[in-house]
Amino acid sequence: MSSNQFTVASPPADAISALKFSPDPNSTRIVVSSWDKNVYLYDLRDENGVVGEGKLLQKFEHRAPVLDVCFGENENEVYTAGLDWDVRKIDLNTSEQTVLSSHEAGVRNVVYSREHNLVISGSWDSTLHIHRPDAIPVTVPLPSKPFSLSLTATKLVVAMASRSLHIYDLKALALLTAQADSASENGNKVEIEPWQRRESSLKFMTRCVACMPDDAGYASSSIEGRVAVEWFDPSPESQARKYAFKCHRQTGEDNVDVVYPVNALAFHPVHGTFASGGGDGVVALWDGISKRRIRQYQKYTSSVAAVAFSGNGKYLAIAVSPGFEDGKDEMPEGIVKIYVRELGETEAKGKGAK
Amino acid sequence: MGKKRRGPSLDEVLERPWCYYCERDFDDLKILTLHQKAKHFKCERCGRRLNTAGGLSVHMSQVHKEQLTEIENALPNRAGLDVEIFGMEGVPDDVLKSHQQRVMTQFQQAEAERQAATGNPPAGASASGQPAKKPKLENMSEMKKRLAEHRAKRAEGAAGGSSGDATPVGAGQNSPAPVTYGLPQPAGAAPAQQHPYPQPYGGAVAAPYQQTASPGYQTFSPVSGQQIPGAPAFPPTGYSPQPFPGAPPAPGYGATPPPFPQQQHTPTDPNTPRHGSLPIPAGLPQRPAFGAPSVNSQQMQQMHMGHQIPAAPGANAAYTNGESNNEKSQAGSGLNVDDLISGAAKDAAAASKTDPSTDKPSKKDKAKPTRMIYSHETVSPEERMAQLPRYAFDRAQFPDNTALGELPASTVTGAIRDENTVLDPAH
Repeated sequence: MSSNQFTVASPPADAISALKFSPDPNSTRIVVSSWDKNVYLYDLRDENGVVGEGKLLQKFEHRAPVLDVCFGENENEVYTAGLDWDVRKIDLNTSEQTVLSSHEAGVRNVVYSREHNLVISGSWDSTLHIHRPDAIPVTVPLPSKPFSLSLTATKLVVAMASRSLHIYDLKALALLTAQADSASENGNKVEIEPWQRRESSLKFMTRCVACMPDDAGYASSSIEGRVAVEWFDPSPESQARKYAFKCHRQTGEDNVDVVYPVNALAFHPVHGTFASGGGDGVVALWDGISKRRIRQYQKYTSSVAAVAFSGNGKYLAIAVSPGFEDGKDEMPEGIVKIYVRELGETEAKGKGAK
Repeated sequence: MGKKRRGPSLDEVLERPWCYYCERDFDDLKILTLHQKAKHFKCERCGRRLNTAGGLSVHMSQVHKEQLTEIENALPNRAGLDVEIFGMEGVPDDVLKSHQQRVMTQFQQAEAERQAATGNPPAGASASGQPAKKPKLENMSEMKKRLAEHRAKRAEGAAGGSSGDATPVGAGQNSPAPVTYGLPQPAGAAPAQQHPYPQPYGGAVAAPYQQTASPGYQTFSPVSGQQIPGAPAFPPTGYSPQPFPGAPPAPGYGATPPPFPQQQHTPTDPNTPRHGSLPIPAGLPQRPAFGAPSVNSQQMQQMHMGHQIPAAPGANAAYTNGESNNEKSQAGSGLNVDDLISGAAKDAAAASKTDPSTDKPSKKDKAKPTRMIYSHETVSPEERMAQLPRYAFDRAQFPDNTALGELPASTVTGAIRDENTVLDPAH
């Protein structure tokens, strides 16, 4: 039953770095950032409001490859982060681009907290920049390079190199940056003690983190085909619940397990299950509570770079593009694709305990 | 006690209905069809369960305007719509055959494994195996009896020397004689032997052993008479030639052997017949179980030829006695069975131990070779990609003021660096 999947027309010309759905429940808009220096805006609905194909609405050129993108306060505003060290805001209606801040290295991630109206970017210069509207951004130093950011309504999870992981309380973060702003000394650099410091439960480099929609915990993935599920609550009972499992591996000939990085994680906004996308081109749906795999989709032609659920959880978008792990320098045509699956009502629903 | 039912026979296994799509087998056809409806013929859209793939296909196209291309949850090569399956109907012959073949090989393999693990005969033989099994059991108990007797015998042999050489076999029958012989002997011997004994074994234990040893002969003597006459008669000759590698060294050697094996038997003592005229009180705990075995005459004969059976199965090889070859082989067979029993148990234990340990690694294998597609400690794939020439970005080409919109000066900190310079304070 593969008829409920379609590819989006006019995909990016080069590898995809990020793909996000609009958080609005009824929206079918997708923003995609690519290594071809563009940010693409698609809508899955055509003029008649029928979902299918998906059409490219706009394309925003940047100076350098774009590494991340996210929707802002509403559907008409996106933030981008790229190799040109800048964090930008793009007004989709006017196509106006505004640089919010510049890091000292490529900017890997950008996230937006609707609840606290904060734009947070993470860069390989080992800092976070925290942007409040109409205020000077505040720099928060980190112990290592951040590789992945994820937000809940109250927390920010920063996964870094050296397997370290910081969990910030967004409220505290907002308050402290506001204070720093008024003080406005020493270059707006503010040391902020995270709410929790953790070491990754995975032995290898963290690839991605994604927070549960119910604000209870997060899942993280590593380059070594593994996903860990953990809870914020520091109590021993909650910490005892954490676990990790292997996935995105294939047994090749001579019985060698080929282990792929798990590039992408995304939680379903309604069911609380999550999808993982790996370098093996496989997307799997997991029930993190009952620790079961719900389903695994047929292998895609290339590595899965990003996965995202739509705001209402009805669609799953899958960005397929050869990643660096494939070791290919040349990019063959037509490999970069965006698949959108229309999910059945119970397709992403957990099965419940055994 | 009813006989425990073993696993199903091959026929039963072969008869089980199974699902064409996923090769799962079921107790009966009804469950199979339910399974197929729930797992393979269920509409993903509305959850309606159809009876066949064709039905599902029609449903999908008519109701949802979609084309069914493959069966859900099916094995990769069985997901096609070309075969119409309902329960066990419609399964192609070749698939059916290969399934049966697979089931058969699996069955045989499981059978062989179980056999290896338990030492039981195959299930096929088990139905008719009832008679075959019984003699075997009897054999084992017989062997055990014999073993016990051998032990006793050895104890005696050790005490009395290789009387078998000296005593005619027939002499064993006249029990009264040995008793009378034996009585005075141990009584006299015990005090004398007590002194040499303590040296190897320690004084506290020595005395009771020594004393019980002699009554032990007496009690045993009614059964195995011939031993006794030999014992008192030639204590020195009997002991001296027997090397006991496993036993404590020379001092008091002549006296020590008997207590040792007897000690092995002490737990079984209560039934031991006692001789009224024993010089040593009956309350002593160490009492050989000589009375227990009821032995046939042939075994008796063998036992009484001066053969010694080892006290512990593992230790017996070390003993070399004046026993005849005949008995040696007998002892050997006893040992073998003993070994077989304990060996089988050990094997089973080992199998049950190693099975999980071999199974688990396959599940949670640390040793399994793995090859990681991407492995680097600190540099993410994106950073590596960013270093490719085609993604090169020279920040210097873009002065900061090219930034669109107003940019607070304070946000730009630090010197401009080469493109793609990755800063990591950790380095």
